[in-house]
Amino acid sequence: MNSRTFRRLPIVYLGYLAAGILLLGPVAFMVLSGFHHNIDITVSPPKLGAPLTLANYRTLFGTLPFGRYIINSFIVAGGSTLIALFVGIPAAFVLAHLRLRAAAFFILLARMAPGVLFVIPLYLMSVSAGAPGNDVINYLFLIFAHLIITLPLTIWLVLPYFEALPSELDEAALIDGASFTQRFSRVALPLIKPGISVALVIGFIFSWNYFLFVLTLSNKNTVTLPVIAFNFIGQGTADWGGLMAAATMISVPAFVLTAVAQKFLVRGITAGAVK
Amino acid sequence: MSAQAAVHDMSSAQTVLAPRAGTAERGRAGPGKGRWDRNKWRRNKGALPLLAPAIVLTAALIIFPIAYAIVLSVTNWQPSGTLGSFAGLSHYAHMLAHDPLFWDSLRITLILYICCLVAQTLLGLALGYLLSLDVPGRSIFQALILVPSIIASVAVGLMWLLIYDPTIGVADWITGGLGLGRPAWLGDPHTVVWAFVLLDTWEWTPFMALIFAAGIRSLPREPLEAARTDGAGPWQTAWRVGLPLLRPIIVIAVLLRSVDLIRFFDTIYVMTQGGPVNSSTTLNIYGYRIGFTDLNMSYAATLQIALLILVIVIAGGITWLRRRSQVE
Repeated sequence: MNSRTFRRLPIVYLGYLAAGILLLGPVAFMVLSGFHHNIDITVSPPKLGAPLTLANYRTLFGTLPFGRYIINSFIVAGGSTLIALFVGIPAAFVLAHLRLRAAAFFILLARMAPGVLFVIPLYLMSVSAGAPGNDVINYLFLIFAHLIITLPLTIWLVLPYFEALPSELDEAALIDGASFTQRFSRVALPLIKPGISVALVIGFIFSWNYFLFVLTLSNKNTVTLPVIAFNFIGQGTADWGGLMAAATMISVPAFVLTAVAQKFLVRGITAGAVK
Repeated sequence: MSAQAAVHDMSSAQTVLAPRAGTAERGRAGPGKGRWDRNKWRRNKGALPLLAPAIVLTAALIIFPIAYAIVLSVTNWQPSGTLGSFAGLSHYAHMLAHDPLFWDSLRITLILYICCLVAQTLLGLALGYLLSLDVPGRSIFQALILVPSIIASVAVGLMWLLIYDPTIGVADWITGGLGLGRPAWLGDPHTVVWAFVLLDTWEWTPFMALIFAAGIRSLPREPLEAARTDGAGPWQTAWRVGLPLLRPIIVIAVLLRSVDLIRFFDTIYVMTQGGPVNSSTTLNIYGYRIGFTDLNMSYAATLQIALLILVIVIAGGITWLRRRSQVE
């Protein structure tokens, strides 16, 4: 920090304060409203310092199998993220070596195509595969559908880490007679652990948040948190407390990762843009 | 570690790659590029098993559904589940010539796209500059304000439903207090698009700002300092020297955001489902409704292919502009 920055410190922090209130105010409002009684939410202007309550959360867990939906979210987001890591990381290693441009095109295509375009064929296939009535098939369809998000993302995020490795390492292993798989698993893989963390964090959060595939493909047993929260809008006349509690529940992974894995989040979000 | 470190990683990645790219160049100039290619595969014998699962999954998850959708768009799919008769390009012709809702949703898509992109780029630059300054607490603040971009869009939709509520919403209370009247926000066809512009700008400006901040921190110091020594004011320096240097990163951020904005779906589906009277029906919402409410899968696929083409055209256009500006 030089002296000019030091003199500007109050202005910078004033900017932080303004941006923080505007950007985090609505989030704080959501979280707080989830802990308020409806009678304190449905007033204008909003009442600060209303009594806090867990009633909304008790209702959520009491009237709905909310625990099951949380587990579903973990099954789908966790499953698709892990498969994407197992399949995507070796692929990224190969792509970094062979510099295949065509592969980059398919990654880009997956990022550009609208979700509805994928979901129409997927939905027709899932119906003919009997997914609406069979929970196991249904989970499999959801996990594979979410791979459309997580697999290209994983390759996209991990590729720069492989490309950044000094080529001498790989050549030395080649001269020592290491096989291609060994060059990958013994030499390169241990060196890109930060890249794996980035892909894990970003893949999980994107998959957890993804709405459309679960909206169209799930049944009442396999449905995940975001869609349950959405279905909540229709039920009960404006149970704002319950809605905000549900919205808060969906946001918990984002809050946790912001607290414990901020550097991976920030790096993952800017990856691919700042090269 | 922060975004700046990421930039540092990336630039070192480029220096590592540079000599390798040079070898490839020499190989191509030699007797035949085939020989270099063969060599590349021979040196990397055993690469295929590592790549194969990704190829299979990509084919099954990305290429097959797109091909299936193209087939749907040229046939008459029946709700009984059969593909039905061949329809040629008649669905496309209907879309272009006889479907005013297609043109309406295209217009709404483009208005949302342009307004959101301009607002998010300008505000993102301002916030990005703020985030680029080296002050204590910068990296924590940076992660905190990213929250709107990384929480589920369903949560964003739900929280803004409460904010925009016509009787108890905070938005009404604020505009009323400022003497701007009490718009119906989501309830009025004239304001609903602007309500979504505001919401999306709130949600995604932090994302843009983070990219810009990393970009600003990676700018070379010398040209900026030279401009200051030559007597340029801070605004002049930023405008005449900083902004042109930052242009490649602005273009990439605009590209990433464009690809998402043209497919605007989640928050609209959660909050208005395209209403009132279709005034927030984007192409993506329209295609979804045709498919899953009207069960007309062939026409839904046609609309989605049109949307994909629109995304590719806009992304291609931005990439072309970027290449051209690099050549100059």
